[in-house]
Amino acid sequence: MSFGEEGQERLKKAHIFIAGAGGLGSPVSLYLAVAGVGTITIVDMDVIDQTNLNRQILHFDRDIGRKKTASAEEKLQEINQDITVNATDVKIDETNAADLVGEADGIVDAMDNYPTRYLLNEVAIAKEIPLFHGGIRGFYGQATTIIPGTTPCLKCIFPKAPPLEVFPVVGVTPGLIGMVQATEVLKYLLGIGELLMGRLFIWDGMQAKADEIRVERNPKCEACGDMVTKKKTARKKK
Amino acid sequence: MRSVWRHGDEEENSEEEEMTVKIRFFARFRELLGTDIMTDVVAGTMFTSLITTIAKKNPEGYAAIFDEKDAFHEFVILMKNGKRIDIADAAKTPVADGDEIAVFPPVAGG
Repeated sequence: MSFGEEGQERLKKAHIFIAGAGGLGSPVSLYLAVAGVGTITIVDMDVIDQTNLNRQILHFDRDIGRKKTASAEEKLQEINQDITVNATDVKIDETNAADLVGEADGIVDAMDNYPTRYLLNEVAIAKEIPLFHGGIRGFYGQATTIIPGTTPCLKCIFPKAPPLEVFPVVGVTPGLIGMVQATEVLKYLLGIGELLMGRLFIWDGMQAKADEIRVERNPKCEACGDMVTKKKTARKKK
Repeated sequence: MRSVWRHGDEEENSEEEEMTVKIRFFARFRELLGTDIMTDVVAGTMFTSLITTIAKKNPEGYAAIFDEKDAFHEFVILMKNGKRIDIADAAKTPVADGDEIAVFPPVAGG
């Protein structure tokens, strides 16, 4: 244990919202559960399909046809009985996003589309809580940590959504990007290390190369442009 | 194309002094076009025309970055030396010797 009893206690008191129980949501939720994050809310609207199983490691062959939320709740609770898991089977939309996130300390973006990501971005800004962004395609992935008012928000970095597509996925990529996101969550909750603030982490699995691109706030950003810039440190309020 | 021309032993730089620019593509663009492309450009070359020239080497790569009207797809992110370039400004943004250009799409899957 590298952060002691006090750190463990902080994790126990924390509540993290995970949007999506798929390729990214699986590794993120499993590792946050075993790390001892006290309350995990995970939301998904899908049913498990055989084609999900190459990457969505929360779900097993026997779960095909079940709701992802039911499977997620069962697995997370089994892997750590000492945490509270809230799994909600619903589509995240503009009418329910803020309520679903509730009093969570942070939002993990484990979605597969930008329209929903932009909604989560707005909720993170409104509640002034971090959004831990991740995205994958094939062997490529990206991640960044958005601290509203301090870092660029998702709209500053990606103002326009790419067209919807059926993208190729290999499970190792969401595994790796999910670990980056989960690491960011733990560091944020514990108040340690350097977060991916203002830095877009980019992973190229084909070349086995990691890059980072500096990203800046857009003063004219439609989502966060009117937020006053805050100091450059971020940690969970005790 | 070498554009530094010489008079006798004296080297004289023309208006078209040669410069080298590095282009980095990411994700899908990288699959189609490669990356860390070092290319020689002449002074006055604009961001858009440079990327157009490079992208045309692969029609699929070109179509991934540009639309049918030869404009950048609106979701494409353009950066020069770590600073964001608005798509609307790219056609009149010159590149200079040593510049590092990054062109990438938002990665959407989860």
